[in-house]
Amino acid sequence: MQNMRGMSTLPVLLTVVAVIALFLLPNFVESTYALHIMILIFISVIMGSGWNILGGYTGQYSVGHAAYFGVGAYTTIVLMQYQHIAPWYGVWAGILVAVAIALIIGSICFRLRGPYFVLASIAVAEIFRVTALNLKKLTNGAEGILITDIPPFKIGDIVITDFMSKIPFYYIGLVTLIIAIIVTWLLQNSKLGYYFQAIREDQDAAHSLGINLTVYKNVALAFSVVFTSLAGSLYGLYVGFIDPTTVLALDLSVQIVMICIIGGIGTIFGPVIGAVVLVPFSEALRSNMIAQALIDSGLVNENSGVGTFLKEQLSHAHVLIYGILLVVVILFMPDGILGFIRKKLSAKQRKEAI
Amino acid sequence: MAVFLQSMISGILIGGVYALIGIGLTIIFGVMRVINFAHGDLLMIGMYMTYFLFALLHIDPFVSIIVTIPMMFLFGAFLQKVFINRVLGALPQNQILLTIGMGLVMSNAVMLAFTSDYKILSTTYSSASFNILGISISSPLLISFAITIAITLALYWFLYRTDTGQAIRATAQDRDAAQLMGINVKRMSIIAFGMGAALAGTAGALISPTYYIFPQVGSVFTLKAFVITVLGGMGSIVGATLGGVIIGVAESVGGVYFGSGWKDVIVFILFLLVLLFKPSGLLGTSKD
Amino acid sequence: MAILEIKHVSKFFGGLAANSDVSFEMVTGMIMGLIGPNGAGKTTLFNCITGYYPPSRGEILFDGHRMNGLNPDAVCKLGMARTWQKVRPLAKMSVVDNVMVGALCRTNSLKKARDIAMEKIKVVGLEKRIKVLAGSLPIGERKKLEVARVLATKPKLLLLDEVMGGLNPAESEEIIQLILDIKNLGITQMVIEHDMKAIMRISDRIVVLNSGEKLAEGNPQEIVSNKAVIDAYLGGE
Repeated sequence: MQNMRGMSTLPVLLTVVAVIALFLLPNFVESTYALHIMILIFISVIMGSGWNILGGYTGQYSVGHAAYFGVGAYTTIVLMQYQHIAPWYGVWAGILVAVAIALIIGSICFRLRGPYFVLASIAVAEIFRVTALNLKKLTNGAEGILITDIPPFKIGDIVITDFMSKIPFYYIGLVTLIIAIIVTWLLQNSKLGYYFQAIREDQDAAHSLGINLTVYKNVALAFSVVFTSLAGSLYGLYVGFIDPTTVLALDLSVQIVMICIIGGIGTIFGPVIGAVVLVPFSEALRSNMIAQALIDSGLVNENSGVGTFLKEQLSHAHVLIYGILLVVVILFMPDGILGFIRKKLSAKQRKEAI
Repeated sequence: MAVFLQSMISGILIGGVYALIGIGLTIIFGVMRVINFAHGDLLMIGMYMTYFLFALLHIDPFVSIIVTIPMMFLFGAFLQKVFINRVLGALPQNQILLTIGMGLVMSNAVMLAFTSDYKILSTTYSSASFNILGISISSPLLISFAITIAITLALYWFLYRTDTGQAIRATAQDRDAAQLMGINVKRMSIIAFGMGAALAGTAGALISPTYYIFPQVGSVFTLKAFVITVLGGMGSIVGATLGGVIIGVAESVGGVYFGSGWKDVIVFILFLLVLLFKPSGLLGTSKD
Repeated sequence: MAILEIKHVSKFFGGLAANSDVSFEMVTGMIMGLIGPNGAGKTTLFNCITGYYPPSRGEILFDGHRMNGLNPDAVCKLGMARTWQKVRPLAKMSVVDNVMVGALCRTNSLKKARDIAMEKIKVVGLEKRIKVLAGSLPIGERKKLEVARVLATKPKLLLLDEVMGGLNPAESEEIIQLILDIKNLGITQMVIEHDMKAIMRISDRIVVLNSGEKLAEGNPQEIVSNKAVIDAYLGGE
């Protein structure tokens, strides 16, 4: 753990430059597709950071965080679509509902440890998914909810944004992401952060050192769920459509964990790295960019069997790539990309020292 | 009452297949302490194998298990040797994520190869059924139940009567002690994963005449497999057998009385209750 | 004044009595040795006292509080701390962070916690290792880290479960000195130990457990000459 004084100036400087660049980006980038990718990355970082607080710092591997993502998304969008409550209120309602539900589940499930906790978290998320499928009156079941309009955001009579372009989503995502990172940093440098990590390292030892396990696990869960729910609301509003198989799916829960595992769990920037690696990659596959690039480069003939196969099928392969990445990361860099780099660097330093 | 009996019987019949899935998972967990999240995907591969043996070579699905069982065993042994073996000492979370990753690779590779279209394996008897005392019994389910019983008996014989079986059970009971007793724990792990995969594959083969076959079908069964094994007590073979039947009946009866949309909720709530109040399973001895 | 009173404590697991009807008292400032053959119920008694198991019968009074049913964290807050027979370092945290976790039991400020931690690290003599990850310490230093960490929780009563187990004679000697230093700080201690020489040297009084029951209690001289104790140790081997 690094304290404030222990932070060297270079990473701080780099972070500041990156943040400024990100704020200016929409002024220089015209491509809506690029903005689209950036927004997806932001949402992924937000949900990853959320999970990271519970899974990475506190060591409670929830593989059911889609439940809170979905609850956030559904609350915000149901309120907006059926009750005409503006999303900037609905988002808070989503957080409240998600945290309330999480605390009930947490106080029940946190007595379980290790693989049993993982299984329980999956079961809870599945209960939510099946319930959303069945409560047709509230959620419109498997058909999902299509958003018709987001009301314009006004202060007084001045319309700040009407949400017609991607720009407002970009800035909302960016600001939320920065808040998520700042909160993670503050947690890491606080009593809570120490307690979370103590629980991760050894629950019994932590307990004997005066840490009330149920209380602190639930606190971690609450922080975690705030960001997961926010990511869900944001996703729903941005994409304009939610259904149980996208926002409450086991696949989503796994993706949330993967963002952190690939980047490096229990580190502030792990989710950022994970999202930056995963999102563009899977989007490139999904949108057939890679297949097209292979064909354009002349490596593969478009009309050959391989060419048609790639064009038709590679877009479905992004989950396959997720799977392969997951296997590779667990087998060869279990501490994620950040941990891997750190290990290589310190090995290099040791060599140089000799 | 007739409805109740009807759903009980179909629950027991499908429960036999669930038992196979559960026993496979429980053997893997017992011997290696690894929870296999790719278990349903192994079942899915068994389904596809059966489908193609039927579609291309016209081998009856209930006959083709003779081919499916050894192939799935080899596949499982391979997975253990190449992947699982490397994380045996790692954090349980990492083991779980590895098997999740393996499952994703399997289901999506199958999807790439054969598209995500639903395939239907329709035999002449797929929808055949007969009546006993006003209760209709599906023929393919009954045949698969008979085969399940035969396999389960063979399995019990193997585990309780042969040297290798004893060694596997010893390893499941106490890995370190088994090692000290001179049991080749690594070999047992490979056999265990092979057996787990073979059982999942067999279960897939047995349900293929009555189920839609598609790449994502596994995840449903992975979750069911957890419920079954936790219910019976992780690592307990008798427990998994019992757990399979209980879940089969709970689903079938619950589906009738609460509507089929809710039956999974019932199963998962049952699962949570067992996890919370009797984590050692119905047959396990509670430590506190 | 009695800081700890164990009154007729029994603990059953299933039908098996791990402790049965154990009673004794501890006076502030003393070192109580707890000895007995393997399986005598020493660690079970520790677990009952520190809130890991509720005793099946009997009562435990600490500093005027009834301890039955309290959780380990509440026990720690009341001023009772324990170490583990099998050390439990917070492996991926540094030595100073480990001790800070203990110190945070009494303060919310990281700065104060760090100050307390540095002070306790000095007591056990790990000053040169503060930035090392706890998981990479050798066993001797892990034991010391464990002691520093519980000291940081500002205990009135310290329960040490085989802190000398697995150490070489030189390291054991350091731990003996450490226990005596802690006594000088005014902290009461209960010590489980297999090394008879060590326990005779440091203890003011000794309780002997055998098959879950209290076999004898007295000062070291009384214990070495107690016939029942000699039988239990020599006859049992």
